[in-house]
Amino acid sequence: MTTLIGTLVGFALTLFVLSYFFFRDWVLFRWVMALFIGASAGYAAAIALREVLWPMLLRPLLVLRQPLLLLPLLLVLLMLTKAFRGKVSRWGNVAVAYLVGAGAAVAVGGAVLGTLFPQSAATMDAFNFRLMRGRGMSWGEFVITGSLILLGVVTTLAYFHFGARPQPRRSPRRRGWIEALARIGEGFIAVTFGALFAGIFLAAAAALAETAQSLWLFILTLR
Amino acid sequence: MKAPVSTAVAIGVGGVILLGYFLPVPYLTNLRLLLLQWAVFLAAAALFVAALNLSQHHWVRLTNRHEAGTSGLLLIALWGSFVLGLVYPLHSAAVRGLFRFLILPIGVALLGVLTVSLIYAALQMMRRRPGLFSVLFLTTAMLILLGATALPGIGPIPFLSDTLRPWLAQVPAAAGARGILLGVALGTVATGLRILLGSDRPYGE
Repeated sequence: MTTLIGTLVGFALTLFVLSYFFFRDWVLFRWVMALFIGASAGYAAAIALREVLWPMLLRPLLVLRQPLLLLPLLLVLLMLTKAFRGKVSRWGNVAVAYLVGAGAAVAVGGAVLGTLFPQSAATMDAFNFRLMRGRGMSWGEFVITGSLILLGVVTTLAYFHFGARPQPRRSPRRRGWIEALARIGEGFIAVTFGALFAGIFLAAAAALAETAQSLWLFILTLR
Repeated sequence: MKAPVSTAVAIGVGGVILLGYFLPVPYLTNLRLLLLQWAVFLAAAALFVAALNLSQHHWVRLTNRHEAGTSGLLLIALWGSFVLGLVYPLHSAAVRGLFRFLILPIGVALLGVLTVSLIYAALQMMRRRPGLFSVLFLTTAMLILLGATALPGIGPIPFLSDTLRPWLAQVPAAAGARGILLGVALGTVATGLRILLGSDRPYGE
């Protein structure tokens, strides 16, 4: 019985979401979005409390009496002041600063060790003939592929170079050769975004087919 | 200098964590892990604060009778799922029901809505910004989509499915993606260092 009610609710919610195709942002769609956001936020908050703060901070502090945890507890309490309005919430700035500092360090470390080094190494691999021959590539393919990848990486990076120089009575412009490289890079970016778009579209289309099929199967079971 | 304590905390904590990444000193590594664990506590607390703020915002809307129905539903869902998540364990039938009958159907249906939105966005792009970028973007998307499909009676399209599509994905698209990733990483390093040096202080003055 519970499963039937749950399935009925799921069926109705799916229909209300799909009603966006016909009625756009109407009241039932907004209600379903409110349910979705509320349920997700509430559950995430409960998980934060149940799976992180209680077992890793509060329980060791209260049961095992680890005094070192008083410091993070103080930071957590300062962070909670952010839920209040007025001057009290300023106390939370220290906790936010801690989080921002830690986040920045993790981001820098991750970007250097997780992206800059591996991606540069992967780009250099395109010029490792022994490796590419192992993947069944001929000499001609090796030269063309390696050159294209190098050209793509360099010109795409040039596209993100925004060091424009101010010019009298004209809007600031990049240097001519950077502008030319950036134009080529724009083409590579278009191809990359096209490939990403196709991938996301395929996933979304699969989800739409799955939704339509589950709706149809549910209607069949009702009959 | 404004907010010296906050700035010192951000620089100190960030500096120690960053050093712990690059210097293989056991003491520093342990300290980095401890500071990161505390950051996890703070992230959890920040999530809790975000839910509280969302709740407060919609409570005000409810009492002001501004879209009271939507805000009321959101509050019921928020506090209902919060209590459910606190009372019942992760793998209980109640929590699984919340996902199976509420979050999952809405999420999947929203992904379905995205299909039409993507087609609409692509058409709008061709109308509003016709040019080489749009043509390249849509041509690549079409070729990859066609290469991923099988035609009735023919199956995968010859040359497109087995040669052109993998080449597009592995050479020009991969090169562009690598350039974008390197650009993002360089931007992240620059922004991160500005915070760690105290030039940017996005935690309030």
